[in-house]
Amino acid sequence: MSDKNNKIPFNEDNYTHNIERNNERKLDRRGFMKTLVGAAGVFAVSSLPWGAVAAKELMGLGEKEYPHKKITEVSKLPIGDAVEFKFPGDHDDAILIRLSENKYVAYQNACTHLRCPVFWVKEQSEMICPCHHGKFDVETGSPTAGPPRRPLPEIQVKVENGAIFAVRVKRYEA
Amino acid sequence: MKRSYLGVIILAAILMMNIVFTQYMVHQYYYENYVNVLIFGGLNIVLFPLAVFAYKKTINMRA
Repeated sequence: MSDKNNKIPFNEDNYTHNIERNNERKLDRRGFMKTLVGAAGVFAVSSLPWGAVAAKELMGLGEKEYPHKKITEVSKLPIGDAVEFKFPGDHDDAILIRLSENKYVAYQNACTHLRCPVFWVKEQSEMICPCHHGKFDVETGSPTAGPPRRPLPEIQVKVENGAIFAVRVKRYEA
Repeated sequence: MKRSYLGVIILAAILMMNIVFTQYMVHQYYYENYVNVLIFGGLNIVLFPLAVFAYKKTINMRA
């Protein structure tokens, strides 16, 4: 280039002739840009597991059928009461509520806001998350107040021989 | 020395998009829209070579 005068001695990345202070080149524009590129790399790598589990869900495992699990006996659960259980895994808290003689609802009760356990308040007929006062509709599991935006995942139940079984986790329709 | 901050601006924009896509991806995962998760995860991955490219293109630019 003709507009470059010969004050630039040679073209190299690591020139040192104009350093005035210690560590002057530690976080200059170039170093900052390298940090930004590295951060983009971290984002790329960290989105891999999400893609992996999503792909796994898409491939056939969509409608999962878990072994039916006995929750409790019908006789031990009066109308309006709730019982907590684990379904489908040992660490997936869930709650079963008996609304009337033959109507049961069950949800995974980790609040869809920050996963605090949602509990059933019989007197108010509401499901309440104690952490930030999120409330859920007991009939549908959809959030009615507070920070949560997604409904609680519903669990299908069936009654057989006087016992209540958890069958499967319903999928969101939305 | 005069320098161009175009690269910094581009990279900051890419990082911003990364944040937005990641947020969207996680939320779509919990909404169980798994196709969207894959789309945004893919976009996140594509952004990385893009960032490297933008770095290399702008590193020796003089304003």
